[in-house]
Parts: sequence; C-alpha cells; structure tokens
Amino acid sequence: MAYSDNGFAARGSRSAWALAAGLGSLLPIPAAAHMGTGLPGGFESGFIHPFSGLDHLLAMVSVGLWGAFLGRPLIYALPVIFPAMMVAGAIMGMFVMSLPPVEIGIALSVLVLGVCIALSVRAPVWAACLVVAIFAVFHGYAHGKELPSAADPIAYSVGFVLATGLLHASGICLGLLNDLHRGIVVTRSMGGIIALLGVWFLYRAIGT
Amino acid sequence: MRGGVVPPALLFLALGLALAFTPRRAWAPSLLALLATLGAVAFVRVPQTRLEGVFFACWVSVIITAASVHLGRGLKTWAAVALSINAAVWASAVVSLSGTRLDLLKALTCVLVLLPAARVVSSYASTPVKVVSSWVIAVAILAATLQLLPVTPGYLPDHLE
Repeated sequence: MAYSDNGFAARGSRSAWALAAGLGSLLPIPAAAHMGTGLPGGFESGFIHPFSGLDHLLAMVSVGLWGAFLGRPLIYALPVIFPAMMVAGAIMGMFVMSLPPVEIGIALSVLVLGVCIALSVRAPVWAACLVVAIFAVFHGYAHGKELPSAADPIAYSVGFVLATGLLHASGICLGLLNDLHRGIVVTRSMGGIIALLGVWFLYRAIGT
Repeated sequence: MRGGVVPPALLFLALGLALAFTPRRAWAPSLLALLATLGAVAFVRVPQTRLEGVFFACWVSVIITAASVHLGRGLKTWAAVALSINAAVWASAVVSLSGTRLDLLKALTCVLVLLPAARVVSSYASTPVKVVSSWVIAVAILAATLQLLPVTPGYLPDHLE
C-alpha cells in the first residue's frame, strides 16, 4: 500500500507513541509465577497483581491486540467482556468452586490468543467473545482466590480491574502498528512470540 | 478495611459517568440535588447494626448508576436527579459508618469526571466511557459479593487475632 509522505509521517508518529505505550506495559520484567497479596493487600497489591506474572500480563495485552486486529465492535467489546467474565471467575475463586486446573487454563489463554494474533484469525464476533470470556474466567479465578484475604479488598479490586484495563489498552495501542507499512508483520510476529511463550507456560503447567 | 474514601468515590465516579450521558440542562439540578442531599444527611448518624445493609445498598447503587450509561437515549432529568439523591444518601451513610467527612469531600471530587467524560461522549466516542463504567460495575459486583462469602474477609479479625 502506498502512503503519502505526510500521511506516513503522521501514522508513523502515532504508531511510535502506540509502540512506546504498548512496550511500556512490558517494562516491569515480571516473574512468571504470580504472588499472593497477604493481609496488607490494597490498591497497590491489586494494581501490581496483573503485572506480577508474565502469563497474566501477556494474555491481557493479547486481548487488546487481538481486538485491534478484529476492529469494531470487538476492539471495544473484548475489554468490556474480559473484566466482566473475570469477575465471574473471581466469584468462583472466592467461593472456592472447582475449576479445571487454572494454571493450564491461563497458559492456554496465552497460547490461543498468541496464535490468533500470529495467524490474524478473523473470528466471528460471538466466537471471539466466547474465547475471551472462557479465558477471563481462569484469570479471574486466580485473582478471586486471593481477594478475600486482602486487607482492603475493594481497593484491591479497583487496582486489579484498572491494571487489567490498562493492559488491554496497551494491547490496543500496539495494534495501531497495523496502520504502518509492514506494521502488521511486527504485530503478527509479536503474536508468534506470545504463542511460543504460551507453549512454555503450558509445558510448565502440565509438568507441575 | 472496606470503608473510607473508596466506596463513596466509586459511587460518585459512577454518577459522573452517568451524568455525562444526560443533556447539559440536567447537570445543574442533579448537582444541586447531590449537594443539598449531602448537606441534609451528612450529619445523620446511622446505627452500626445497619453496616452490612448500607454497604450492600451502596454497591447496588454503584451498579445501577454505572449501568445507566447503557440506556439508549441517556438519562432523563428526573432520573439524573434521582440518581444524584440516591448517591448522596448512600455515600454519606457509608462514610457515617466507616469513614470521615474528609473522605466524603475527597470522594465528591470524583463526580468531576463528568467534565472529561461529557467531552468524550459529545465527540461521538461514548464507548471508552462505557468501557470505564463496565470496570466500575465489575469492582462493585466483587465488593458486593465479598459480603456474601462464607470465609472471613481480610478486613475483619479472624480466629488468629
């Protein structure tokens, strides 16, 4: 596709900001296992929680990135569905309801979302919503199990919902790279790397 | 801890987002109703025995207020005023039981989200505001569910304390 010089510069500038914002979300160099909050849990603990495990972090960024691939209405619908279903999962976690191994579900979410981005899968709206909703339950379950022990669970909830939303937004920002010439190659490569990490998480989850 | 500034702040935040979808002529009566009701009920003492019910009502109010952004034509003026009065009542009740008047004042500033939110809505990009309101609903559902848990929440002393 040919771009005019000005248009290309504008898109380049916007995409540079998008890339900076998206990569910024990956800066905390998180550990793969995510930490419990313990009794001191408040806003900070809740906010840090989604950043404290690379598996959680990649899944949430992937939701935004895949949404950016899929365009309207999913670019907005997925960041609404994910927190909503995460709440459903968190409630299941709070009541300690049984769920298939959560770590495997989380690893699968990274793998599947990474593959969807790498292959630029154009899923129908209902299918994309279903995939994201199912995976959100697993992520919410992990949060919900720790929520009741937080000293300030409301502030903890605010923190983790806000952080989740910001990670989705980072993914959407990274998706703006698609506007650049060859940008789609970059974003699809990111999807490939995410999928490979998903394979590693799955291997570890099954191995433990 | 579950009181303090966060519950009323979320309620006022939800109200600010809801008012962003109302016509501008509804703002003045709604904000006046909010301030008048706060002034009237801020000094009312609520018995501690009502603590669980008051918190639950506060979370239900957050959910209803935040969900109103999804109404097709936005809120009518009378509905905006009713939501404002409701927010003032439950915010001051929560603060009366578990917080200070300074918490109420701090929380009240959250209603100012109305200004940027209305600007976003008027530029035909209402979806980001609806996304944020869905996050507020998510937090309120979690907080309301916490009261129904069979375990001891972290803000209450357990058998080890």
